[in-house]
Amino acid sequence: MTRSTFQPNSVLLDKGVIRRVYERRVRLAFGKPPTVLQIEAANSYAYVATIANHLYITEQTSNILKRRTQIFAAPLLAETRPLKKARYLRRWARRLTEFAFSSEDAIILAYGSFGLDVESRTVGVEAIITTDNRLAEHYERRHAEIKNRFDDMIVNLPEPYARLTLPQVATTATVLTFV
Amino acid sequence: MEKLTVDADGKITIPPEVIQKRGLHPGDELALVEAPEGLLVYQGGVDDKTSAWWNRLDDGQRLLAETEARRYESLSDKERDSIWNEEADSIEAEAESDEIDLPTK
Repeated sequence: MTRSTFQPNSVLLDKGVIRRVYERRVRLAFGKPPTVLQIEAANSYAYVATIANHLYITEQTSNILKRRTQIFAAPLLAETRPLKKARYLRRWARRLTEFAFSSEDAIILAYGSFGLDVESRTVGVEAIITTDNRLAEHYERRHAEIKNRFDDMIVNLPEPYARLTLPQVATTATVLTFV
Repeated sequence: MEKLTVDADGKITIPPEVIQKRGLHPGDELALVEAPEGLLVYQGGVDDKTSAWWNRLDDGQRLLAETEARRYESLSDKERDSIWNEEADSIEAEAESDEIDLPTK
């Protein structure tokens, strides 16, 4: 992945990214230096916000933010949209666990293809940004097999699902190499 | 892109012109980020989004943010993890009732 191949229009930020961006702001308000991971996530978030037209989070992340202190959470909720689960999202997530992804990782990856933006009626995102290096490496390593499995699944689904695609997966550290 | 060389003591020297350009001073901290592509030396400071958020807050809101930040920072790692792991999604077929069917055109 290079800067020229990483130009996503729509990006799903995983919960770990949002958590660290939130905590980076907590540290600023508290007057305590942020951790390297918090800096990494906050700078990646700031960069991605300049190149992507749509920033998404999952419903779970949205619900967590709604229960957090709004002085920190409200701007993040305002700058992102929650994706809903389109039909077959969990079915694809279960297939992904066969590639040794955890349930939590499989759900995030499945949102990348079956996450529904109710407002724009679009499905899936072009890229997922994660703090999880293992997830990104594993996805990259098994991508060809995952793609075959994905194509085998969607070919048997009704028409609107047949156009769905797999997202790119990039870590916050990788995003910083493009800044 | 600047090339840095590791010396015999494992230290690297940042060229003076870069130090001057970036406004670095003795004691400033730089983050070393391990990316799949290699090591990134990253200058700290506040990113644009965080900075814009902070600058929008008035004195009263900053005081409130500090109070809430103190409360959050006093939580244990386990308590913070618990907050961010609420309502984990199930991938089981029994949970599929909330999935939305796409309209056929």
